[in-house]
Amino acid sequence: MSDQKITIEFNDKVVRQFLLASVIWGAVGMVVGTLVAAQLNYWQVNFNLPWLTFGRLRPLHTNAVIFAFVGNMMFAGIYYSTQRLVKARLASDFLSQLHFWGWQLIIVAAAITLPLGFSRGKEYAELIWPINIAVTLIWVVFAVNFFWTLAKRREPSLYVAIWFYIATIITVAMLYIVNHLSIPTSWLHSYPVFGGVQDALVQWWYGHNAVAFFLTTPILGVMYYFLPKAAERPVYSYRLSVIHFWSLVFVYIWAGPHHLLNSALPGWLQNLGMTFSLMLWAPSWGGMLNGLLTLRGAWDKLRTDPVLKFFAAAVTFYGMCTFEGPLLSIKSVNALGHYTDWIIGHVHGGTLGWNGFMAAGMIYWLLPRLWSRPLHSVALANLHFWLGTVGILLYVGAMWTSGITQGVMLNATTENGTVLAYPNFLDTLNTIRPMMLMRVIGGSLYLVGWFLLIYNLWKTIATARPVNGTIEVFADEGVIAHEDKITLVGTFLNPPVAFSILGVGFSCAWMFGGDILSIAGMFGLLLCVVLAYAHFESRGKKWATWYDRLLVNSAPFTILVVIAVAVGGLVQIIPTVLVNRAANVEDRRQLPYTPLELAGRDIFVSEGCYNCHSQMIRTLVPDVLRYGDYSRLGESIYDHPFQWGSKRTGPDLARVGSKYPNIWHLRHMEDPRAISVGSNMPNYPWLFTSPTDVAALPGKIAVQRQLGVPYPAWTDAQITADVNQQAKAIVEDLKTAGGVIAPDKQIVALIAYLQKLGKYETVAPSSRAAR
Amino acid sequence: MTPIPPPEDETLRHHSFDGIQEFDKRLPNWWLMTLYGAILFWVGYWAYFQWFHVGLDGPEEVTREMTKIEAARLAAAPITDNTSLWKMSRNPVMVEAGRITFNTLCASCHTEKLTGAIGPNLVDRLWIHGGTPKEIYATLEKGILAKGMPAWVPVIGAKKSAEAVAYILSFHQEGEPIEVQAAWIPQAPK
Repeated sequence: MSDQKITIEFNDKVVRQFLLASVIWGAVGMVVGTLVAAQLNYWQVNFNLPWLTFGRLRPLHTNAVIFAFVGNMMFAGIYYSTQRLVKARLASDFLSQLHFWGWQLIIVAAAITLPLGFSRGKEYAELIWPINIAVTLIWVVFAVNFFWTLAKRREPSLYVAIWFYIATIITVAMLYIVNHLSIPTSWLHSYPVFGGVQDALVQWWYGHNAVAFFLTTPILGVMYYFLPKAAERPVYSYRLSVIHFWSLVFVYIWAGPHHLLNSALPGWLQNLGMTFSLMLWAPSWGGMLNGLLTLRGAWDKLRTDPVLKFFAAAVTFYGMCTFEGPLLSIKSVNALGHYTDWIIGHVHGGTLGWNGFMAAGMIYWLLPRLWSRPLHSVALANLHFWLGTVGILLYVGAMWTSGITQGVMLNATTENGTVLAYPNFLDTLNTIRPMMLMRVIGGSLYLVGWFLLIYNLWKTIATARPVNGTIEVFADEGVIAHEDKITLVGTFLNPPVAFSILGVGFSCAWMFGGDILSIAGMFGLLLCVVLAYAHFESRGKKWATWYDRLLVNSAPFTILVVIAVAVGGLVQIIPTVLVNRAANVEDRRQLPYTPLELAGRDIFVSEGCYNCHSQMIRTLVPDVLRYGDYSRLGESIYDHPFQWGSKRTGPDLARVGSKYPNIWHLRHMEDPRAISVGSNMPNYPWLFTSPTDVAALPGKIAVQRQLGVPYPAWTDAQITADVNQQAKAIVEDLKTAGGVIAPDKQIVALIAYLQKLGKYETVAPSSRAAR
Repeated sequence: MTPIPPPEDETLRHHSFDGIQEFDKRLPNWWLMTLYGAILFWVGYWAYFQWFHVGLDGPEEVTREMTKIEAARLAAAPITDNTSLWKMSRNPVMVEAGRITFNTLCASCHTEKLTGAIGPNLVDRLWIHGGTPKEIYATLEKGILAKGMPAWVPVIGAKKSAEAVAYILSFHQEGEPIEVQAAWIPQAPK
């Protein structure tokens, strides 16, 4: 080894940029969150303005906090820690800047398009297709910059934080691309290629794993770097890192269907979603244990150090939420909690507690290291911690109370279980109003805490000089010894990987195979487990040595991660997509929308109605008593995107068609409280003045036809004539009922759509999708 | 008593990353048990529902439950002939129960004064779908879906429905003339 030393200066400029962006967008996201929370209590703060209405702002809130706040925080943390963990400056200053500015541009584009009502209508995937492409490109820039830096590393072995970063980059790319596959109808609008149950499955495979691989794995990586750094203690257990990393990335992917429990989703997928969610409990707690137990011997520092306070609380909230998640995935618990505020509470325990507090701890720790100044005020940071903690507890406690109360009321029956105790949905909504107000108070406290951070940050850095970290390394440090290199064959031909792949293969044969295959799979698995155990007991050292070698080989490591995260999605999605759609409908098939109804549906999607209204009557007695016969698979097969929803702030709409006269809907959309006393739904006055976009319909119908919706080969004139005829009929019906409206207004199309909901034709019963 | 020797896993791994070191402690047993337990539960659950089909899937379960509910409803249905409903309408307990149901569910269209808005007036002598107690009850049973009147009996049950009819009838006299009305022009609620 040569004695010559060189000094590397890290690219901390981009870290500072991402950090500041995270702080600013975090404030924006939280302000919008507080506003939408207030809108649920006071409909007046929708201001009767389209771009300030709950249905459009709630996607802005979720996208802002996930992609802008946590996204920027994650990039700051990853770039700061990776450079130090691999002893190399980020590979390209240009790519770093492109990454930063590209991401900010995407956020600005989202903040403009979402309030304007440009939406794909899928949660956390609302952004329109040109922005989707930009996100994909910038993610590739991030990936290239990251892996290029790994390639230039002077530290051969990859630390556990880097494992989590690799899993994040790979998996988010996979999820994002598949769930955003769409066919454009214009520059601002597209239809997702999947429809109905397929779209539901893909959406929640994505939605659930956005939580996993955007809000969890990168933050675990951040924890593994910043927590031991701040505590100045060694990480509790390396082997726990190994086990919980691989089990977490493998199991997480399978759990998506727990968002669709008791729905029309085929039973085998629901069972997978529930059982894998339970299996996810231990891997998640592995991360929590490694975090909390690393603090052993440093607990006394918690009294004085706000950074450690934030970290300890964040990891505790992580543990709480990853216990609550499996609990909520149990079908019978889910029957109570799903569609209620309990889920909102669960999510905010994770985002405010885990993400927000990890962000705060990391930022307070980084400020004095990125700028040559100690933190302006430790006391203020401590105050931030306590305000935030009380805020979260109020918020989460209120949502638990609210969700369970409303769930119990909605499910309550009377007269020997034959009738609903609270047939009027609004009775249940108005019972939880105080809790909804408590949420605003809790959220506001948290927001005030965040403003304290901004003030503290500003006072710290305003007059401080930015500093970049440096490190001295030997010129030829970090060369990987030839005998440590792993070839492609060697990636797979080694005991741990071979046994794992065989075990998963046999398990799949056992679970899904027919009689003989299933029995073969069972014996194969048993044999595999016994052999693996015997081999590990006798040659366990070899397994450890091999893993040490794997850690200096970033490409084989990445390949194994790709395989681990791909399996779950492949098993769940491919059968559902390949199965003959027409045959997989149970006993009912949806009637395709007329052109006017399709236009109305696009308005429904654009206004974000799905944020409060589901279209899925679950296979549960209280749902059937309240909303009618349970929803069949076939009743949404032509829905691109599906609109099953995830929250019922208002009642389900799956069978609302023909339930009320047209005039009811007209009056209701104009002023919901004129019809439903105590409703918190916004008014929609602009639907009465804005015209329906009929000109776009031929293009939209052509795309729908391409996607398999059985539309005849209409000419443009036929489409227009059909629209005019149906609109005229509705307008005349409204007129006899005393409602005056021009046929070209959006409200007419929306009424046409709402009246179509739940219309089907009966077909010969078929079995549910391949069991 | 001999002092307990320090656990062998209290040693650090030799490698250090930017100053971060790692212990290599054994996995806690209770943690391993939750992992193994969840895996075993999965196997059992899968066998119960997917292999042996002992457990019913959602549609089978809800169909079975709804059949039972239907049977219970049929068994518990009150007598809804004209005589019984008129009697109920003179029973203050039933009328008061009916008033509560009516104001919760019906008043949004028929108003609390029953004078009609989106739905027709129920205190005049004009009836669209028949004004005998039996006919009024039948309207609640089937609904007038095209006009927006839901079928209430399946939702709130026969008892509450009969009470609501009794409440409506409490504004009427047995034997008063019933005039046929062609349609109701809906009006915005005041």
